[in-house]
Amino acid sequence: MVLKLYGMPVSTCTRRVATVLVEYKVPFEFVSIDVAKGEHKSAAYLQNQPFGQVPYIDDDGFILFESRAICRYIVDKYPAPAGTTPLVPSDIKGKALFEQAASIEYSDFEPYAYPAVREKVFKAMRNLPTDQAVYDSSIETLDAKLAGYEAILGKQKYLAGNEITLADLFHLPYATLLAKAGSDLMTTKGPNVTRWYNELCERPSWNAVKDGAKSFSSY
Amino acid sequence: MAILKLHGGKQATCTRRVATVLHELQVPFELIEVDVANGAHKSPEYLKIQPFGQIPYIDDDGFLLYETRAICRYIAAKYPKYGLIPTEPKANALFEQAASVELTNFDPSASKAGLQLWIRKMGYPFPTDDKIIADNLETLEKKLDAYEAILSKQRYLAGETITLADIFHLPYGVFVTYAGSESDSVMNRASRPNVARWYKELISRPSWLAYLDGVTTTTAY
Repeated sequence: MVLKLYGMPVSTCTRRVATVLVEYKVPFEFVSIDVAKGEHKSAAYLQNQPFGQVPYIDDDGFILFESRAICRYIVDKYPAPAGTTPLVPSDIKGKALFEQAASIEYSDFEPYAYPAVREKVFKAMRNLPTDQAVYDSSIETLDAKLAGYEAILGKQKYLAGNEITLADLFHLPYATLLAKAGSDLMTTKGPNVTRWYNELCERPSWNAVKDGAKSFSSY
Repeated sequence: MAILKLHGGKQATCTRRVATVLHELQVPFELIEVDVANGAHKSPEYLKIQPFGQIPYIDDDGFLLYETRAICRYIAAKYPKYGLIPTEPKANALFEQAASVELTNFDPSASKAGLQLWIRKMGYPFPTDDKIIADNLETLEKKLDAYEAILSKQRYLAGETITLADIFHLPYGVFVTYAGSESDSVMNRASRPNVARWYKELISRPSWLAYLDGVTTTTAY
């Protein structure tokens, strides 16, 4: 049975998963959840995702949620496409450096990029009042954190080493919304961050889903 | 082979998380205290190792690693007999789901409230904010309702055996209880008996009890 991805087409976390499915050329059916109508908070939905969030997958009866966990599962289950290196290293030290990079994404990027995007993009979309102070302090901290990125990316091509990994791709959904939120940090902080960010933006897998996740039956 | 060196703070929150896991895995380690009070973690030499100027990091016979969950995962992978990271593919996926739940649904509110409550309890001279504590505890209460649903069906977050995903809830899972009492706190409410059961198990583990007064060099178990 083909893998089913349940989510919202433009949701950041849904597109994070879709990107990796396309990277690994995994056929999948996209099933749209009516978030506007609160479908993700229904009793039926909560059976599959107890936090009432999108996305989740149903892989032939195996249910999994949390976008980063889903991405890791895909990389673990399927072989990397011919001519590419796996998006998660398997040797113990390479894997440790990947975990370090994955933790950086979650500890040093997301806590600041997400509130900035929430205030200026998500709330605007829903005609809710935005909190400029939250946006300003989030961007200020993100600016400082990106100094760490600039240092790392001056010594190696990607966050975990010289090969791209999930840790780099995890940044795409929120990093690409920062400009819409009003911040050009990703292309002005420093030459190394700019180089890395622009490369990520050019990935065919991201471009295939950046405007909305959808089904892929073949590649 | 040199003993693993844990560079951090005796009482520091994230240093304690790593020490707990090192203890779980019975790994000898030396605590090397970083002079955070005097800004040692922001020096150019330190930033070469940890570019975000944070503690802790480890030096495992020359292999340097930072980010506590990455450190814990690395050590758990070196000692797979303890099963703290399942290897069977579906069990591993459910572990990753649980580890991500800790990151996305627990840590953001628990660390914000927990850090401030810990600062108050330790009497450190840093500002704290009642509203930040209250707002984050409120968010956490709702998240823990979902934990209750999960833990009513299985013993631990990833299944029937304990994994790193459960242990990652320390130490902030303890610090958030400083806002309550031993018999009634956000982690220990009559309305969430399974969360309370799971929480009490976590804080009874020898690995947590070993460093209640702070992390210390541990050469034997």
